[in-house]
Amino acid sequence: MSRAYDAIVVGAGHNGLTTAALLAKAGRKVLVLERREHPGGLAASEEFHPGYRSAGLLGDTGLVRPSVIAALDLPRHGLRLHEAPPTVLALGDGSHEPIAIHGRLERAAEAIARISPRDGQQYRELAALMQRLAPAVRELLGRHPLDLVDLESERVWDLGKRALRLRRLGRDDLRELLRLPPMSVAEVLGERFETERLRAALCLPALLGTFGGPEQPGNMLELMRLWCLRGPGVLGGGPMLVAALRAAAQAAGVELRTGAAVTGLRVGTEGIDGVRLEDGETIDARLVAASCSPRLTLEELLPAGLLPQRLEHRIHCFRSRGRVAVVHLALRRPPRFAGEPAEFARTGEHVTAIERAFDATKYDELPAEPALELHLATEGDPGRAPEGHAVLSATVYFVPTRPRDGWTDGLRERLGDAVVRLLARHDAGLPEAVVAREVLTPADLESRYGIPGGHLFHGEHGLDQLMFRPTPECIHYATPLPGLWLCGSGSHPGGGLSCAPGELAAQAILASS
Amino acid sequence: MPIPTPFHPRTSALCTSMLWKDWAGYHAVRSFDVAHEREYFAVRNGCGLLDVSPLFKYELRGPDAAALLSRMTVRDLSRLAQGRVTYLCWCDDDGKVLDDGTVARLGEERFRLTAAEPTLAWLHRLGRRHSLTIEDHSERTAALAVQGPTSRTVLDAASDGTLPPLRFFGIAPARIRGVQVEVSRTGYTGDLGFELWMDREHALTVWDAIVDAGRDHRLVPMGLDALDVTRIEAGFIMNGVEYHGAHHCLVESRKSTPYELGLGWTVSLDRAPFVGQAALRAELARGSAWATVGLRYVWDEYEALFARFGLPPQVPAGAWRDGVPVYEASGRQVGRATSGAWSPALKANLALASVRAPYQEPGTRLEIEVTAEHERHRVGAIVTKTPFFDPERKRAP
Repeated sequence: MSRAYDAIVVGAGHNGLTTAALLAKAGRKVLVLERREHPGGLAASEEFHPGYRSAGLLGDTGLVRPSVIAALDLPRHGLRLHEAPPTVLALGDGSHEPIAIHGRLERAAEAIARISPRDGQQYRELAALMQRLAPAVRELLGRHPLDLVDLESERVWDLGKRALRLRRLGRDDLRELLRLPPMSVAEVLGERFETERLRAALCLPALLGTFGGPEQPGNMLELMRLWCLRGPGVLGGGPMLVAALRAAAQAAGVELRTGAAVTGLRVGTEGIDGVRLEDGETIDARLVAASCSPRLTLEELLPAGLLPQRLEHRIHCFRSRGRVAVVHLALRRPPRFAGEPAEFARTGEHVTAIERAFDATKYDELPAEPALELHLATEGDPGRAPEGHAVLSATVYFVPTRPRDGWTDGLRERLGDAVVRLLARHDAGLPEAVVAREVLTPADLESRYGIPGGHLFHGEHGLDQLMFRPTPECIHYATPLPGLWLCGSGSHPGGGLSCAPGELAAQAILASS
Repeated sequence: MPIPTPFHPRTSALCTSMLWKDWAGYHAVRSFDVAHEREYFAVRNGCGLLDVSPLFKYELRGPDAAALLSRMTVRDLSRLAQGRVTYLCWCDDDGKVLDDGTVARLGEERFRLTAAEPTLAWLHRLGRRHSLTIEDHSERTAALAVQGPTSRTVLDAASDGTLPPLRFFGIAPARIRGVQVEVSRTGYTGDLGFELWMDREHALTVWDAIVDAGRDHRLVPMGLDALDVTRIEAGFIMNGVEYHGAHHCLVESRKSTPYELGLGWTVSLDRAPFVGQAALRAELARGSAWATVGLRYVWDEYEALFARFGLPPQVPAGAWRDGVPVYEASGRQVGRATSGAWSPALKANLALASVRAPYQEPGTRLEIEVTAEHERHRVGAIVTKTPFFDPERKRAP
């Protein structure tokens, strides 16, 4: 029997498009099905107010894998990289001059040294250490997953080679490699830096994927991942990345259908038979790669009882408590923060203030003072707002996943007001410049993007959930159901705009046939 | 510290032996007299009355109740008719038995599951995506077993009106002294017998009615010691004795599958997915490594062994449940007896045993360890089809 498609990819986010494009390049006939009306997932630019477009929800494009860029020839499809990682302003609480953490190490160290010479030197040393540890972190989180439990013979050989590479670090660095990951970012940064707002700004990115405040043990691994795997990032951010991926996919022959919600996976006697869409249409394929979350894939798209109950239970227990909200602001004018203009900025007076912000969410309450990761979307592409206007997106650390009385409109507005009020400390005239705003709570993120708990990485980056992502059964992207593969952020090596799960899943699929 | 069952005011007044044991956290009578014989003979010749309230009982209601139970257990419960009860077991993903019990279909969308172990968490875990309510009725539902040849007569006499006609493994509502009860023709003695299910606040009313009705029909309150002998005669396995729930096992060799326990007849393989299905299918194709069998000691050899020491044959006073090695003729160990008893009804020394598959054929001669005068010896034991004791009245209409 002939089949229309060799493979169906569920979801047209950056990972889904990566998997689809790589499979198509290898000669497969691939269909991508996207529930929403446009591709891009969390990275897609969205018009949240007439004339104002966001740059997606994930501002950090520094982790995009060079191997994906090369394999899909993305520069030919419009991808341009920055020359250096973008500058991030550490705004503190507005009472001091911001610190410009430049993408170039020397400039950053100099700027930091102007506030604290000791911290400037420490920054150099930490950056150098991260650079030395980078090959090791790449072995862990930059390649196919380590499997320390299910040791097939070829994997033992591979494991040995990877372990040998770690030995090359030398004794001191190897010790740091073992010492740092189980620590908290607050502890590690506290060992090195004396400037509070610098510590606060440096710790924040590690808290997007992990659960907990800066004092949470184990989140240092996340910061190491971000430092060690960092590249310069994509010009135009997430929207440009997915545009290039989409162009590459289509050039490779991938067919993309938007507005096509997969509501079920069809299963026959030998495994996956295809998918079923919301309108009842069925499409045949013996291979389905799902870039949506593992929970959605294995719990909601499959009938109960098909998978071993142990796996079902593990998937159910895969933690994805989204604790950030995103607020898009349409502004009449660009924000006027002190210091030099920059695309990115972070607020937060000190690490303890951020920890307190998390504390409130443990009790399902809004924090008195959240910390903000700010992305000036119109800096990357001025066309996202009318001439002279600006779009500023704030990732709010932290909000409760499910407040006691749910996310009411009143609470949503309270959150929006709190964000604008916080920003007024850094730009007193900003509240008057707000044309419109969109507040996306974890509940909104969950329903709009289909991410359980509204977690932007499909699942938390806890040490356990990075080691066995999402579960020991599915660590190599294949599921126990023949023909069903996982290729999204819920798989190794996790979330963010890296395209790594998409690439590694495609490699696993191609290697299996 | 165990707690009293709803029948405790009656059982404690009668338990002159003070022989109690802890059954699932409840005080349960081992035997009312210092020896259990009178209670045993009541079951086989008259009628025994046993408090089985400590059983774990769950009520499942809703459109998916049958689907959940069919997914959890080895049986397809959608095929169970209303007013019927079925015996079954349930497994983990590897097809290893977790527990065994019964399921009664009380209504189109209403079921009762009984279990030897707490099962609520397991039900909830598997029921997450099903539409039903799961209630733990272990405390609120009291249960009584009325077992023995005169049990039907006793219940007829105790009922307001007459007892509804019940086929073997049927269940129907009845009324006793104005109390609404459910009567099922089930039990753990392998005899004609019934179990009564009622709200705990009416427990004593029902007890009194049955004791009153039983006066003319040789009804005797019985404890677990007598039950243990009868269940061995009936060839019924027991959780914690013949097998161990897989959740409690530290080593694989301790776990058992339905086929290894002689429960293969309960497994319905070719249907919608259920927990353990793939593993059980593979085992069926491959063949099981172990089998559960009945053993009957060769009496002449047993007698001769003790005679060598100048002793009369010493039969156990009650049922035993400490594992005893079982050998083939060459002396190689091929299994273990898990429990056993002297059967007064059959005048035979019996055991249930787990043996390697090649030794399961009825008639196979094995040897079992017997300690006489503190010396270990072996005597012959013949693999015997169970139930050892299987009276026609058990199933008779």
